[in-house]
Amino acid sequence: MEEFLKQFFDVGFMVDHFDEVLDGFWITTQLAVLSGILALIWGLILSTLRQLPGKAFLPVRFVTIAYIDVFRGIPLLMLILLIAGGVPALEFLPEWLRLPQWFGKPDSFWFGVLAITITYGAYMAEVYRAGIESVPGGQMEAARSLGMSHGQAMRNVILPQAVRKVIAPLLNDFVALTKDTTLVSFIALNEVTLVASDIQSETFNSSALTLGAIMFLVVTLPLARLVDKLISREQSRFTRGAPRVEAL
Amino acid sequence: MESHGNGGGSMVSLRGVCKRFGKLEVLRGVDLEIKRGEVVCVLGPSGSGKSTLLRCVNLLEPPEEGDIHLEGRSICRGPGSGTGEQSWDLDFVRQRVGIVFQQFNLFPHKTALQNVTMAQEKVLDRSSAEARAKGTELLERVGLGEKLNEYPERLSGGQQQRVAIARALAMDPHVMLFDEVTSALDPELVKGVLDVMRELAAEGMTMIVVTHEIGFAREVADRVVFMDGGVIVEEGPPAEVLENPREERTKQFLGLVLER
Repeated sequence: MEEFLKQFFDVGFMVDHFDEVLDGFWITTQLAVLSGILALIWGLILSTLRQLPGKAFLPVRFVTIAYIDVFRGIPLLMLILLIAGGVPALEFLPEWLRLPQWFGKPDSFWFGVLAITITYGAYMAEVYRAGIESVPGGQMEAARSLGMSHGQAMRNVILPQAVRKVIAPLLNDFVALTKDTTLVSFIALNEVTLVASDIQSETFNSSALTLGAIMFLVVTLPLARLVDKLISREQSRFTRGAPRVEAL
Repeated sequence: MESHGNGGGSMVSLRGVCKRFGKLEVLRGVDLEIKRGEVVCVLGPSGSGKSTLLRCVNLLEPPEEGDIHLEGRSICRGPGSGTGEQSWDLDFVRQRVGIVFQQFNLFPHKTALQNVTMAQEKVLDRSSAEARAKGTELLERVGLGEKLNEYPERLSGGQQQRVAIARALAMDPHVMLFDEVTSALDPELVKGVLDVMRELAAEGMTMIVVTHEIGFAREVADRVVFMDGGVIVEEGPPAEVLENPREERTKQFLGLVLER
């Protein structure tokens, strides 16, 4: 038992390596927040493209759906490896794109942001779509019959209602995204997983990794509670404000 | 058939309008003339095509065949038109035709006043002060001056429907379409909505009203149109169609409705 605790929960060891691990987690946080925001925006764009009406936009819808299917279907880790190994080898790209070092962050950080945004944009597009489709068709009809264009109706009527309904599932995706940032350790980004597992292989003590896991919990547990709260609030709102259909 | 006497030119004219949903023929050649200032009530059993007819007039459901003229201008061009996304004339139509739906379709994330101001600002480019003034005036007119800042879920069905009427009127339509606007209401809330429509009719608004309210049709309509099976079976002044219908189907329907 003592050996078990020493291996995984050595408090003294955690204190000694706290700053290192926290530095790693700070990178993780930046990666998660930046990718999260970009994926939220990219997903919204994708879901809007997917909803464009009429024959003229058929190719756009087709390409968007194909994109969403492909990137939901391939593992994020493979995408990270593809980008990090492939993009720097593309000689025709200017160096600031091949080996981005923006804002003092290494290229592995930016490749991670790119891969996560591509993948989670596709996931979140599906969440937005569920929200858009849950808005009754009469809303679009009402907006259009008042003279609004499709775009105006989406912006002012459909999306505000849709987004409100999907905040909870979007947050869920954000929690999953936060955890998936650990995959960027595969391309040598000094985020919390890599830092802690380096400590593990140097010292044969796993407590630094445990510490990293605890840091994740500090972030993800409140988010999970918040999701629960939002869901129950949305449900009570729905039962109270259910559409009245007395005499059909 | 003289109406309220403000000119009387043709407002809406339908010729041979056909509408299909897949194999289902909902409208099978409808001809209808509506003069400026006229109030026409459309009656008929459910599935007779009444609502689809209304939705053709403002191109929510563009017909496959036939001609529709609005204020003398063709908005739907013959066979095969309107099957795709017809953007032509859409602005012309939507700026002149207001519609009120059975299910109100208020924007639930906006207050009553915001429901009435949104399209004024986005579509007509009115300033927000202008839109608010107009919205407030209209909501007061429909008896909701006290409810400007309430959200739809806090309003009764009848109040919601009156907001919806104000919202459509805010766009200064030349024609108002009413699609069974009292059918989803509790009985005690119907009168408030009908009163608003009565007043509107008295002011000379051109109205096409799909309704089951025979009493309203008798009192307010200049003309009653009876539809069944996607065609107009009979039309004429309310006294004729409602009291002495010529057609068997009209008699049957009225018998069933008035029996209640």
